[in-house]
Amino acid sequence: SVPPDPSLPAGPGAALALLSLLVRAAAPPAMCPPGDSGCRFLSVVDLFDRVIRHSGRIHSLSTELEKYLPPRNNELGRPARKCHTATMLTPNGKEYAQKIPREELAYLILKLLQAWKEPLSHFNQHIENLQELPGESLSKAKQISNMVHELETGVEKVTEKMQSMGIISNSLHGMASSEAAGLSISNEANMMSDSDFIHCFRRDSNKVQSYLKILKCRIMPENSC
Amino acid sequence: MKQNLISSVQIILLLPLTTVGLTSQSFPGKPKIIRCRSLEKETFSCWWKPGSDGGLPTNYTLFYSKDSEEDIYECPDYRTSGPNSCYFNRNHTNSWTTYNITVTATNEIGSNSSDPQYVDVTSIVQPGSPVNLTLETQRSANIMYLWAKWSPPLLADTGSNHLYHYELRLKPEEKEEWETVPVGVQTQCKINRLNAGMRYVVQVRCMLDPGEWSEWSSERHILISGGQSPPEKPTITKCRSPEKETFTCWWKPGLDGGHPTNYTLLYSKEGEEQVYECPDYRTAGPNSCYFDKKHTSFWTIYNITVKATNEMGSNSSDPHYVDVTYIVQPDPPENVTLELKKPINRKPYLILTWSPPPLADVRSGWLTLDYELRLKPEEGEEWETIFVGQQTQYKMFSLNPGKKYIIQIHCKPDHHGLWSEWSSEKYIQIPNDFRVKDMIVWIILGVLSSLICLIMSWTMILKGYRMISFILPPVPGPKIKGIDTHLLETGKSEELLSALGCHGFPPTSDCEELLIEYLEVEDSEDHQLMPSHDNGRPSKNAKITPKETDRDSGRGSCDSPSLLSEKCRETCALPSTLQTQDVRDVPEKKAGKRSWESHCVASERKALLSNNESARSTWPAVQFPNNQPPVFAYHSIVEANKITLTTTNMNVGAVLVENEGRHQSLYSITETIPGGMEEMENLHSKTEQTTAQVKQNRSNEKTPFLDAALMDYVEVHKVRQDEEPTVLLKHKEKSGKIEKYTISGASKEYTKVSTVVDRNILVLMPDSRVLHTPASQEPAKETSQNRQQSQVDTNMSYCLTAPRDCKRETSGSDYMDPSSFMPSFK
Repeated sequence: SVPPDPSLPAGPGAALALLSLLVRAAAPPAMCPPGDSGCRFLSVVDLFDRVIRHSGRIHSLSTELEKYLPPRNNELGRPARKCHTATMLTPNGKEYAQKIPREELAYLILKLLQAWKEPLSHFNQHIENLQELPGESLSKAKQISNMVHELETGVEKVTEKMQSMGIISNSLHGMASSEAAGLSISNEANMMSDSDFIHCFRRDSNKVQSYLKILKCRIMPENSC
Repeated sequence: MKQNLISSVQIILLLPLTTVGLTSQSFPGKPKIIRCRSLEKETFSCWWKPGSDGGLPTNYTLFYSKDSEEDIYECPDYRTSGPNSCYFNRNHTNSWTTYNITVTATNEIGSNSSDPQYVDVTSIVQPGSPVNLTLETQRSANIMYLWAKWSPPLLADTGSNHLYHYELRLKPEEKEEWETVPVGVQTQCKINRLNAGMRYVVQVRCMLDPGEWSEWSSERHILISGGQSPPEKPTITKCRSPEKETFTCWWKPGLDGGHPTNYTLLYSKEGEEQVYECPDYRTAGPNSCYFDKKHTSFWTIYNITVKATNEMGSNSSDPHYVDVTYIVQPDPPENVTLELKKPINRKPYLILTWSPPPLADVRSGWLTLDYELRLKPEEGEEWETIFVGQQTQYKMFSLNPGKKYIIQIHCKPDHHGLWSEWSSEKYIQIPNDFRVKDMIVWIILGVLSSLICLIMSWTMILKGYRMISFILPPVPGPKIKGIDTHLLETGKSEELLSALGCHGFPPTSDCEELLIEYLEVEDSEDHQLMPSHDNGRPSKNAKITPKETDRDSGRGSCDSPSLLSEKCRETCALPSTLQTQDVRDVPEKKAGKRSWESHCVASERKALLSNNESARSTWPAVQFPNNQPPVFAYHSIVEANKITLTTTNMNVGAVLVENEGRHQSLYSITETIPGGMEEMENLHSKTEQTTAQVKQNRSNEKTPFLDAALMDYVEVHKVRQDEEPTVLLKHKEKSGKIEKYTISGASKEYTKVSTVVDRNILVLMPDSRVLHTPASQEPAKETSQNRQQSQVDTNMSYCLTAPRDCKRETSGSDYMDPSSFMPSFK
């Protein structure tokens, strides 16, 4: 079951939270602008739902963008694309994703997102110079880049909240070092072809979404799981 | 020379001309009949070859004779069989005749005939070639067959049908020898014992019996495949993951080349060089490979090929790349239930519920499913598709009643993957009896209500008068009046009067209260009385509440309310003359402008208003005995007096009195003014006098009891001089106070009613307290004197002092105790 939110005051706060939970059960939660103090009752479930939706949108956008960047002729039939995030050890199946510690899964999600921040902005600059691409694809790429930043913020917020509530431990080991790792592998990303790049990103966005869903259902199995 | 030259030129020019002229000017060469042929033994044609034409246009004529006849005939049809031919149709063809045929070529110079040709139709029969030859190979039990098919030859005369015998020949392309295969009368042929991998040529011909074989048909070529060769390459048809945890790939084998063939699925993962073989060929059936959870990785691309191998060699399929995430295609949703809900007072709606496919583990979050449903009426053509999202139920409101719907649901992983198959069709009949039921209810209701209406209107017609009188009853006589009447008629007024004495009873607040109530009611009693008297005014007066009339008790003790009310009624009853007088005489426009009756009513209303006011202010006081009397008591008296005055045509004073009296009354709420007993008596007496005057002036319209009450006078019956001076007044009716006054006017004041004797005799006792309050007596006496001097003046002064008197009287309350007569009204 969900541990009680310590940030909530006991009596009316709990009732309010319950009410908000009930309301949320009936209708999708109203969007709260980031940093809004009025949103302090946002539950972890709520935050999870948002980041999952967000990652889903990123995945849809990257699927659309992939259509603009078909593999070149000499790449046809050459599926062995080496993604720059391929070196990361990530769960490649349900059972594995359910087995690894929750902290590690959260950490993996963050690591994946961080690994794409830098390459995405490079990619944006790169495809802006491509004449053959329609403006629509450029705006999509830009949107993806922004959304990845937002998603990272969102996932960080969920993680912090879960840590503060004691749902997961604080030992997000190697968060600092991952930044360096992300930078180093981002060079690899720049070496990829455009179609490979977007293919890899699409795959990783799907990874992130899947991990987020698994994580949510592991932490709060009773909430629409 | 010149002539020679010209002639030589002419010769040169002429020479060729003469040569031309010489060659063309000959008769034609001899034509030759080359062939006569019958396609089907019923008609026949002959062709000839023209000889030299002799340089001139040449006509060719075919003549023939039959062996049995001498006659020579010309060809019946030069056209049907083409140029230089003659066609003999059915009518000119006889199978049993030999034709002697010659062809003659004719031009301007001469003619030339061919050699005769003798033709026996039966012997010249040769059909055309079969047409539309087609070839195909078929494999049966690993053996290759060749199927050849064709059609009979075409005929000019399509109406006939003949039986042909066919013959087929074939050979490998590179060989010279034909292999001939007799077929018979069929138009198809199955050929085996062919070598795989070779190309063959096939032809077919036909004949009629008897007759010649037709020409061979055009050649057809075919490659006989299979045989002893390596298998064709298989094709991977589909890979699918039903639950995003495992997946299966299927392939379609190619031709096996006539040998048992093995299939091997090989795969490698993205970024890895190593090639693995399929872990499980069996679980998913033939020609498939099942990848269990261990062998299924996500976010990696599988490179899959299928290799077919037999003795002769092997062949691999094209590689198939699979990203398992995007080949997830769940099973259809299960447990689809349709339930028709019928909420009360609302339209029925349909609830669809279903459950995700059993394989899909949606609770882990690993797989999230979106649902979509579609429906159509059973007879409809187009499906209506509704995207539902992730919920597993759906409510449908807009379904047409009376129709049968088919509903199906399928599902898909969100953001990737493929839609599942549609679930099995579910049928639901939307009943239309809801509305019918409702309609029945409404119809029954309508019939019932119309019946009721009918009955009611019927009874209305039958008993219309009664009903009208029931609904609009005649204005009833007031209850109080009735009681009053009864009381007066039965002489209970005397009891009433005797009760006024209150002798032996100490003054109580009850008495005061009752008195107040009585006085309050007096106005209303006027109203109550009015309708019976004059039907023109009941509606205005009907506003008076019966409660007030119910309190109509004890008033008479103070100022004979019935009389006052009568007076008021009288004033109202004398409208026209008085009104004109008012208009003429009264300076104040307020009163003057008003009609008489309205004035009367207005004053009464004012009295009521003030009564209400005073009631509010005085109710607390009422609870304490001997306290300030309620305002409305005297006020109403004032009103009454005023009315009385006006009735007696003292118009100037009337309005003034009214106004002054009102002011006075308002003023006296806060002020307790001791009033003399005499004043009170004066007032009463004055009232009586005016009343009497009114009565006298008035015509005899009054009700009998009023007449009796007013007109009867009182005589002193007896004065008892024994212990205390007591006056015994004898009167027929209730105007005892008048006698009282006359007696008191002599020297003593008989304010206390000692007893009532014989129902008509009032025993009065002198009041000792009156003597103790001379100060209060003085103005009273003055007013009484004034009153005696001038009736107008006295009226005025009396009206001014009246409030005090009344208060005094009630505060003293020695004078009477209405409580004694109270019960008679209760």
